[in-house]
Amino acid sequence: MNVFSKLAVTAGMSLLLAAGVAQAQSKTFNVWWFELPDTSQAKAWTKALEELKAKHPDVTINFEQKTFDQLQKAGSLILNSDQAPDLLEYNKGNATAGLVASQGLLTPLDDQFKSRGWDKILNETNSQLSKYDASGIYGSGPIIGIPVHAEFVSVFYNIDMFQANGVRVPTTLDEFEAALDTFKQKGITPLAYGTVDSNAQHLLYTLALTQADDTWVKNYQGLKEPLDTKPFLFAAQKIVDWVGKGYISKDSTGLKGTGGADNLFSSGKSPMFVSGTWNNGNFASSIKNFKWSQFVFPTPKYSTASTGNLFMVPKGAKNKDLAYEFIDLILSKENQNLQANLGGVAIAADPASVTDEVGKRNVEIFNEISGKGGLGFYPDWPVPGYYELLIQATTGLVNGSTTPEQFADRLKTAYDDAQAAQ
Amino acid sequence: MEKSKNSGRAGYYLYILPGMLGFALIVLIPLIANFVISFTAWKGIGTPRYIGFQNYERLLVDAAFWGSIQHTLLFIISMTIVPIILGLVLAAVLFDYISAQFGETLSSFFRAGFYLPQILPLTAAGVLWGWILNPIGIVNAVLKAIGLDFMAQNWLGDASYALWAVSAVIVWIQVGYCLVVFMSGLARVDPSLYEAAELDNASWFGRFRYITIPMLMPEIFVVALTTLIAALKVFAPIYVLTSGGPDNATTVPSYLSYYHFFTTNRVGYAAAIATLQTAVTIMLGIFFLRMQSKQTEGGR
Repeated sequence: MNVFSKLAVTAGMSLLLAAGVAQAQSKTFNVWWFELPDTSQAKAWTKALEELKAKHPDVTINFEQKTFDQLQKAGSLILNSDQAPDLLEYNKGNATAGLVASQGLLTPLDDQFKSRGWDKILNETNSQLSKYDASGIYGSGPIIGIPVHAEFVSVFYNIDMFQANGVRVPTTLDEFEAALDTFKQKGITPLAYGTVDSNAQHLLYTLALTQADDTWVKNYQGLKEPLDTKPFLFAAQKIVDWVGKGYISKDSTGLKGTGGADNLFSSGKSPMFVSGTWNNGNFASSIKNFKWSQFVFPTPKYSTASTGNLFMVPKGAKNKDLAYEFIDLILSKENQNLQANLGGVAIAADPASVTDEVGKRNVEIFNEISGKGGLGFYPDWPVPGYYELLIQATTGLVNGSTTPEQFADRLKTAYDDAQAAQ
Repeated sequence: MEKSKNSGRAGYYLYILPGMLGFALIVLIPLIANFVISFTAWKGIGTPRYIGFQNYERLLVDAAFWGSIQHTLLFIISMTIVPIILGLVLAAVLFDYISAQFGETLSSFFRAGFYLPQILPLTAAGVLWGWILNPIGIVNAVLKAIGLDFMAQNWLGDASYALWAVSAVIVWIQVGYCLVVFMSGLARVDPSLYEAAELDNASWFGRFRYITIPMLMPEIFVVALTTLIAALKVFAPIYVLTSGGPDNATTVPSYLSYYHFFTTNRVGYAAAIATLQTAVTIMLGIFFLRMQSKQTEGGR
């Protein structure tokens, strides 16, 4: 062999090696999510990963646990780089999913949605947040993400305290206020509330939804028109009234919902806590001294509720087929029922096959809300930065530094800004 | 001769190169990029759109921004002025009272104790303070247990206390740094000065006023400059303790910039805030360095 042929062989070998490496790399399935390992979702999804591994023994599964904050703050930068995984869980909504969708960083899933039968599993209401248009607004446009669980805000209540004080589950806002008053008369602060995190706006928006109709919700969430503040003004006034009457403690402004107000409920100090299904696991394991349950806050139609975060396939994903197959697995009846049996709010579980008390109740409540098209979503979605603004402004209502009118003005200024900037 | 001198110099530049490269990469280029971005509307991804001075015009009428500047002034008090005064007094007490009366060991023990907050991770300390100060936290539990219910407050959640509560935590963090620098400065002061003053019947305060403070002037300037810059860019304690709340009562410019960069996705606006903040910091820095060189010249 002369020098040239040796060189040629070496070159050929290294090319082959390089191709081999590339081949090996493409056999790694990279998947990220941020649900904490002890949640029902994460447990069910881990089970699905095992099934995927069993079907494809040659594939290396590379799962990375992320945090909500990591993806919230840097998600768009990661999706815009070559470091994006094959599949990831990402926060739904205009400011997050909508933003990356509008920048063309995701794979459209419309074909898979039909051919794999996902359209039979997710009804119209439940797939609203899967679609985003060219300016990143939900509701229309290509499907870019698939939800496999759901969440909703309801009223957690202490059955023992309700019975001891002769209070029945309220079915109207008036009855709800009467219940608050009964407890207050007995020297009990009826509502556990913390305004330092999202808990602030969950109660506020739930109250606003008592005044909202289809048009208002659609306009509000879709940034369709300048903000009609009436429902918010009503809600803000209610909160101020409730603080004045002692239904809400002024100390709420120093407490978080998670790791603060939730303790007031779970330790039996306050009989009610208006918050989301993410408390289920904590309450199921930590409350031993009393019986508790949930009821839907009395509103005409809408609840603070939505389908869960989305599984998305980034544009540059190397193993899209594996990503689709994994979505098949987590949408399957078995995996959905497993999630519900672990106490989770599965989006397509069959309540009849769920034995876990909390999971069964939550699947039923979600089906009831979704069945009447009552997903009111969350108040911070339409405007980037609204999450913090709502926390600050609601805190202002409780500690008296902001009047309901000023509150409505602050919301309107930021909203109309974002609406006009479209 | 001349030529060899020059080529010798060129050799030195080679040694500056790594430092200059680092400086360019992590300070200069981002600084210029930030300045350029501040004239655009940009969501962090996609293409920035040039909008002239609009971000700055908006900044001038943004109540949240002006509020944050006011809070910064207060944080200059709690990060610079109070820790320097406290640090001076504590350093003098430890140096010429505790150390003289009770021995070096006790003095070192206190010095280490006061310095401890400086080596604690700020986030961990912040989370702990958050627990201590919340309405159902330890401070209020203790106050209620000893019958002082009326003093139990919603420390971080009530706008009238939050700024002071955060300031107190910051003083706790900062005082150790001042103390350690001042104590090492005192070790350099000629003991005969104190001895002479004592022979002349000078009081403790007299010695503090006429020996300790003048002799420590160089240290005071260094500490004032570094803590002032820290106060102007304070972020972590605010982020961990209050996230700028309640109702924006503790927002500072760096937090506001962070808020707009990462949550409202108004990156251009965030860059304008950061640019203004940088300009103010540089101006104050130059002012202090001038003052300091005047002081040392005067000392000669």
